Amino acid sequence: MSTTRKRVYGYLAEFKSASALYKAAEKVRDAGFRKWDCYSPYPIHGLDGAMGMKRSILPWFVFFGGITGTATAFTLAYTTQVVIYPTVVQAKPANIFSVPAFFPVMFELTILFSGFTVLFGLLGLIQLPRLNHPLFASKQFHRATDDAFFIAIEARDPKFSPNQTKELLSSIGGENIELVEEED
Amino acid sequence: MGHHHVTSADIAINGDHLDPSKVSKVKTAAMVIAAIGTLVSIYLLFVGSEKTRGTYAYSWLFAFYFFLTLSIGGCFWTLLHNVSNSGWGTSVRRTFENLGSTYPWMFLFGIPLLFPQVQQYLYEWMNIHREAHGSVKEHLHHADHLLYNKYWFMNLPFWYARVIFWGVGLSLVIIGLRKLSTAQDTDPNPGTARLFKARFHSTYTLIIFALTITFTGFDFMMGLDYKWFSTMWGVYLFSGSALNSMAVIILVCAWLKSQGHLKHVTTGEHFHIMGKLLFAFTVFWAYISFSQFFLIWYAGITEETSYFLIRNTGNWNTAMIFLVFGHFVFPFVILLQAWLKKNPKALSIMAAYTLVMHVLDHYLISIPERGISLGNIKPGVFGEIQPAIPGAFWGDILAFVTIGSAFIFFLLRAIGQHSLYPNRDPRILESANLSN
Repeated sequence: MSTTRKRVYGYLAEFKSASALYKAAEKVRDAGFRKWDCYSPYPIHGLDGAMGMKRSILPWFVFFGGITGTATAFTLAYTTQVVIYPTVVQAKPANIFSVPAFFPVMFELTILFSGFTVLFGLLGLIQLPRLNHPLFASKQFHRATDDAFFIAIEARDPKFSPNQTKELLSSIGGENIELVEEED
Repeated sequence: MGHHHVTSADIAINGDHLDPSKVSKVKTAAMVIAAIGTLVSIYLLFVGSEKTRGTYAYSWLFAFYFFLTLSIGGCFWTLLHNVSNSGWGTSVRRTFENLGSTYPWMFLFGIPLLFPQVQQYLYEWMNIHREAHGSVKEHLHHADHLLYNKYWFMNLPFWYARVIFWGVGLSLVIIGLRKLSTAQDTDPNPGTARLFKARFHSTYTLIIFALTITFTGFDFMMGLDYKWFSTMWGVYLFSGSALNSMAVIILVCAWLKSQGHLKHVTTGEHFHIMGKLLFAFTVFWAYISFSQFFLIWYAGITEETSYFLIRNTGNWNTAMIFLVFGHFVFPFVILLQAWLKKNPKALSIMAAYTLVMHVLDHYLISIPERGISLGNIKPGVFGEIQPAIPGAFWGDILAFVTIGSAFIFFLLRAIGQHSLYPNRDPRILESANLSN
């Protein structure tokens, strides 16, 4: 048997209610921590503000994804129906003025590409799917999907200190404070 | 973040009232312009040379219906807010009601359209009906079979009955709802009774609203060319109406806020929601107006295409293409930004811009018909059928300024009458602490 040296993930603290979590998040934010997160069974209105989170870059991805969709559809329809094989339907022109006929396709591809960028951009930004998370090592953490509210402050945060961080969490109402160590 | 939580201590117990001296100059000026303009307009509509009588009838119709859509939209937002049991907008709801309350007044500007002297230049179907000696139906049977088939809907007694109903019906609705709301402001025991009452009465009266926006559009606008019809006409006018009344609401709220009113009860969050509605209806307008064009363009049926044929002739075509970009593409891209919608000033600029586009939209709805119809009715007076009658443009501006001044007057009058927000509404705190 060799001694195993486990890496510390950080502190996990439980809070009594959504509003307690919200107020605690504001204090953790004001204490200047960067690498930490809140865990709740359901979305809490305004928690992003209480955590001091910056606006996501995702809307920009989606905007350009949408534009790509519009352009793709237009190019596809215009090239096939005007340039390569001019299609005359009911004596309507086969030139740029047949563009209204392409609008439904342009609309659909804008939506489709935007939808794809939302989904895959989001998965990329939140780094999902993943097989495991260090917090799963905690015995109490599974309650985050049921009836408990948690804050976890990671050890890799520059402000992290084994004693002071624990004190901070307990001073802002944290209970069942636990030092989570990563599993092998 | 962590902004001040609004409590009942922040709510003005006797309401937040506009200082009358602040707007008295603007109000007086608007009233004087409207009064003089109305007198001049009556002269132009009934006494002036036949050429001005004919062209000015269209100017009047354009201005009348433009401002009517804004008032109808005010009724719509009031009804929708009540019926959807909303809490977010309680602190701006009074502005919805104030805008809606201009409806009875704005409808009065449609009175000239009830006179045959004015109708003869606008509605050719009425001329054909009036040619009849004896039975109208019998006359139509020989004169115009299309009108014979449409007789059950397009006949003069029913037309007058409908128009009176549109004027009276929605007026009673909005007057009643506004009274219910403002009575709460001074009630020592406000309670929730009025809230539930407003919600209940907004359900079936929403039908009156829907009929009004749809069929005023049919009776005043679609009737300009009795051969033409579009099944999307009502919803098309509704989309512009809801969009631009929201623009007016945003402008009014931003102005009140800049004057130090609506303090504590409105924040960037309210403007964010109103901005989102502005954005949503920009998209809805585009969706509906394109659908209308698309169905007509694709099918290519003679009776339906006339509308777009007229508007794709000459300079009207440039304006129509500009509308696609100016009324949809540009505001769509700009309004995507969240920060802009939370900023009352930036959002006001977009709201004002949207209103300018609404003017263009309604100009293109009513005015291109003028050169065609008048050339058809009396080529000797108005010239042969042509895209536009030279010089008639000045009448459009006069009518617009006249009715616009009246609109501003009645809106300011309504704003000054009561508290600027329902200060004793049970949902006022919920609304004040809005976060979205």
